[in-house]
Amino acid sequence: MTVTGVERRRDVITVAIGTALAVLMGVVLAAGIRQATRLHAEIAALQTASSLQNYPEDIARELDTLRERLEIRAYSGRALADLRATVSRFDASLRATTAGDVLDAADLARTQRLWHQYDPVLAPVLAFHGQPYADSDTSGSTLSREGRAHFAQVKRAQLFAAVHAKALQDHLVLGVRRLQASASAAAAQLRALLLAGVLAALVLAAAAAYLQITRARDQRAAREAEERTRDILKTVREGFFLLDRDNRIGSVWSEALTRMFNRGDFAGLSFEDLLRDLVPATTLATAVKYVNLLWGDRAHENLMKSINPLGQLEVTAEDGRGGTETRYLQFDFHRVVGPKGVRHVLCAVGDVTSSVLLARELQESQQSANAQLDMMVGMMRTDPVQLASFLDSADAGLKHVNAILKEPARTDTEFRRKPGSIMRELHSLKGEAAALDLQSIADRLHALEDLVGNCQAKATLSGDDFLPVVVKLDELLAYLRGVREMASRISVSPQSEAVPAGDVLAATLQTMAAQLARDHAKRFTLNTAGLGGVPPQYARTLKDCLIQLVRNAAVHGIEAPEVRSRCAKSDVGRVSAEFRAAGANYELIFEDDGAGIAPEALKETALRRNLITAAEASSMDMRGAMALMFRPGFSTADGASRDAGRGVGMDVIARNVYALGGRIGVSTNPGKFTRFKITLPAVEAAGSSAVA
Amino acid sequence: MWGASANKGRGAPPAGAAAPRAPIKMLIVDDSNIVRRRIERSQQFDNLVVIGSAANGVEALEIFAKTDPDVVTMDLTMPMMDGIECIGRMVAKRPSVRILVISALADKATAVEAMERGANGFLNKPFTDRQLNEAIEELIR
Amino acid sequence: MLYEHELKTFVAGTTNFFEVSAQQPASIGSPYLVDDAPQLHEYTGLINITGKRDGVVYFTAPKAMLAVLLMKMQETDFSHETMRDLVGEVANTISGNARRDFGRDFVISPPSVLSGETPSIAPRPGVRSFIIPINWRSHSAKLVVSLG
Repeated sequence: MTVTGVERRRDVITVAIGTALAVLMGVVLAAGIRQATRLHAEIAALQTASSLQNYPEDIARELDTLRERLEIRAYSGRALADLRATVSRFDASLRATTAGDVLDAADLARTQRLWHQYDPVLAPVLAFHGQPYADSDTSGSTLSREGRAHFAQVKRAQLFAAVHAKALQDHLVLGVRRLQASASAAAAQLRALLLAGVLAALVLAAAAAYLQITRARDQRAAREAEERTRDILKTVREGFFLLDRDNRIGSVWSEALTRMFNRGDFAGLSFEDLLRDLVPATTLATAVKYVNLLWGDRAHENLMKSINPLGQLEVTAEDGRGGTETRYLQFDFHRVVGPKGVRHVLCAVGDVTSSVLLARELQESQQSANAQLDMMVGMMRTDPVQLASFLDSADAGLKHVNAILKEPARTDTEFRRKPGSIMRELHSLKGEAAALDLQSIADRLHALEDLVGNCQAKATLSGDDFLPVVVKLDELLAYLRGVREMASRISVSPQSEAVPAGDVLAATLQTMAAQLARDHAKRFTLNTAGLGGVPPQYARTLKDCLIQLVRNAAVHGIEAPEVRSRCAKSDVGRVSAEFRAAGANYELIFEDDGAGIAPEALKETALRRNLITAAEASSMDMRGAMALMFRPGFSTADGASRDAGRGVGMDVIARNVYALGGRIGVSTNPGKFTRFKITLPAVEAAGSSAVA
Repeated sequence: MWGASANKGRGAPPAGAAAPRAPIKMLIVDDSNIVRRRIERSQQFDNLVVIGSAANGVEALEIFAKTDPDVVTMDLTMPMMDGIECIGRMVAKRPSVRILVISALADKATAVEAMERGANGFLNKPFTDRQLNEAIEELIR
Repeated sequence: MLYEHELKTFVAGTTNFFEVSAQQPASIGSPYLVDDAPQLHEYTGLINITGKRDGVVYFTAPKAMLAVLLMKMQETDFSHETMRDLVGEVANTISGNARRDFGRDFVISPPSVLSGETPSIAPRPGVRSFIIPINWRSHSAKLVVSLG
């Protein structure tokens, strides 16, 4: 049962007790008054009856007196008058008694019967009006004739009275006794009635008091509960309020709302007014319609929940400092259902601003990745011709990446072919971007590489895994288009001077070498020769090769200056790259006077990378060990910095060279030098390039 | 969107019921033939009779006036007259009609709007047979 | 530039249709980009989007795939009209998904349907399209998202 149900029942009981008390008092009083009236009558009757009981004796006595007077011939008029008065009073009293219904009917009848017997003897006596004596002044008084008759009547009456007075009196005494008994019974009844009334009233009053006490206790409990609720509403972080039937906020609402809505006048505020200035009119209309729907029974709870349009409401309000502030509020609605349908709508409001903003920031950080500033800075430092050349190869490279993506794939195996070749392409581009110090482009390529790397790491691959890659690819292409547009605006005519491709490549390598030397605290010179003679078919591949080789030389080959000094070497290292025709073929000789390559170091690395087993390592000859550096996934520098360590560098070289029908040879002398010799067939004999 | 229901959409009267209930008349409104046929085919209520189908709001109102259906499934995006308006007119004509919106429009403002006009349920396209039957059951229960 | 979550919304709208309507999920193939107008199949359901983004999203599928899809949906009518109807419904589903996820930011037109041997959708200059192959059973359709 609900609290209000208990309360209602208690009210009913209180009213019942009050009514019962009133009725009881009424009944008791009415009965008491009746009883008191009867008592009063009985007391009056008792008085009357008590006065009556002496009359018979009085009459007898007065008759005695009358007889005596007559015997002694004394004056009897007085005695007769007394008798007459007494008889007449008795008669009157007795009649009054009869009329007043004082005596018990039986007592009365007996008394009257007796009294009637008096009549014949008394009447003549009383009727005497003459002079009883024949007066003779001399001889005293003698009875006259009338007097003698009168005397005889008196004597008879006196005798009669002497005999019957006692009986009459007894009757009267009996009646009085009965009256007394009756009166005391009535008094006892009245007493009992009053006592019962008082007792009943006491019981009812006790019940009422009990009720009052429990009510007070419950009210105290309710007040405490209310206080607790108020405390909760004050401290809870969520906004809560109850809406009543006309969509107004009731007296129950949580303090958190004040913070969320920058106001405190919630009680009585309509839901519509709460949102009015905060949201656009269309949103407001939808919100109000929705809340109205909650009051109906058209839709069940789940459906209503699923169509809640206020799941994430953007509200704009003044921040109190003259500006505006946008918050994201999440409204949840619950119907509070009573026996007669929905009684309230409970609304919980959460401030989800921080999580929304976090999600948004993530998005915006993607967006700001498109910022133009870093692009400008990088480009201003880059030679326009080199930049244009890079943009061309980037375009070609990314087109190739897209072509790899475009190859239809359904199975894991088919998907798994893609990341490796995409990585190689990206890595080569990234190397080139880094060589030109195009930091922002290199960073983007690096990010794209990361995404492709995520694909490689997946246990099973599907098309979904490539969605982030293709989105990033699109972004990168858009970025590069921006770079190209800006480049064409900055430099007057980058393409107009026909700069030989070989010179561009040589300049690119020099830029890169200088940067690598700076980054790795190395000192070396780079000499290039014959790069102008590279046939166009080989330009791309050889560019990739040279970038990779220069990087390897700078990072791994050339020792730090102090190491070189200790080894009695010139502290400035030498790196050279020469391209030349060799008979029908072409050769690229790349050499550095650095640390050389130790086969054991290669084996160790390959072991660490799980590319070979310990058994394989121990049985591996020098040649096999050297071949390890061309394996995919091999890298001798730890970490994934921009210019080394990705581990696809050398295998890009090898793969591309083999694709052109060429060969790679390595010779090294630990501590002295490393020399790569790449041999490519004559142009006519070259197969179609994979990256044309 | 729809809470799982223990009853798998069977609307047949329980065994031993004295008299079969009066059939419930259903009108299907959708501009796609496929969807109309799909709804008709997939609904599994023995006491439900499809008394007509319409490809747009205007046609739907004509059939509605003629056949006086108890239940209507209603697409929202349709040529001639859209579903929202059609719901309003049907409910105005016969307030006791039960309308299930079946639409690809999944945004909440649309759902609220449809409910406000008088729809009783909302089912998102595409839907499975089970989702359809649960939604219809919710409607005719 | 398209965000990944936007692309995923369109993709989910499409694959969801297969999963729910035919009780057989579709998988997506390797996504890629095209600069020019992508090759269309016989039936194409298309929605125009304006607002925060501007462009088209369409689902284009070969007749054979639609026929099998109809069969799986227990449809017995394989007419030209029904095929058009079907790609229209797919586009409708994509549109509904997008409206749910993007709300008012996107204004989405009701679906329209293209069919015939040489339908074409003029590419918007300077806008690359995302092509997401939709593989279902042995068939392949394409979801094309072309938004500026």
